[in-house]
Amino acid sequence: MNTQNQNGYMLLYRSGEWYNKLPHAELQQLIKQNEAWFERLTAQGKARPGRALERKGAIVSGVNGRIVTDGPFAESKEAIGGYLVLDVETIEEAIAIAQSSPGLAYGGSIEVRPLAEECPLDARARELAREEQLATV
Amino acid sequence: MLLFRGNDWLKSLSSEEKQKVTDQWMAWFRRLTEEGKAVAGNPLEREVKIVSGKNRLVSDGPFAESKEAIGGYFLLDVASFDDAVAVAQECPGLPYGVKVEVRPVAAECPVASELKREAQFAHA
Repeated sequence: MNTQNQNGYMLLYRSGEWYNKLPHAELQQLIKQNEAWFERLTAQGKARPGRALERKGAIVSGVNGRIVTDGPFAESKEAIGGYLVLDVETIEEAIAIAQSSPGLAYGGSIEVRPLAEECPLDARARELAREEQLATV
Repeated sequence: MLLFRGNDWLKSLSSEEKQKVTDQWMAWFRRLTEEGKAVAGNPLEREVKIVSGKNRLVSDGPFAESKEAIGGYFLLDVASFDDAVAVAQECPGLPYGVKVEVRPVAAECPVASELKREAQFAHA
């Protein structure tokens, strides 16, 4: 596994609306912890501003995007609730940061993904071109 | 935010078709950036790790090659949700089975909004 990546990592937060069930005091405490966590990462130059996503939206699919459906983003445990881009160089560090996320104890999961330098389509096209070149040698 | 879902569709394409879609996709992103409609965007590598639970366990993602896997994203700066859907409908990957998830970016963390709702309710 190539653990070095100069392009950074993306954390995708996947969960249902677990926070609707938390008591007020606990919720408040968690928000403070979250803010402190994010401020520390930002001060260390490890996190770029992240955003939460609304629990609504649409899925566009089909040729010319003719099919537009409402997505079930509220109930699904797999729905993406927000994201964060990390400026760290190894997946181990990105995973360690994900593990230190205060909300994780309440459920849901965090997907850790390396950002790609180029589109995977480009990479694959180059690979194929190289294979063809080798075949003609 | 546009999330591009599905990364198993590439396998069925010829080298020429792949090149064509890539060029279209890049030109699309360039145009959106020039028009000020796209502010960020990145493809994602296939490698996936999932961190979950109280014990913060790390596992390999099950969706390296699936119809639901996220292959990349665009962050748009457009005036309305309909505008964002219209941009999504231009995605060059759609004819090949790519799905585009269109999601409004929240003004603040939903946990914070929930807290405000509760506070309002308590005062009412």
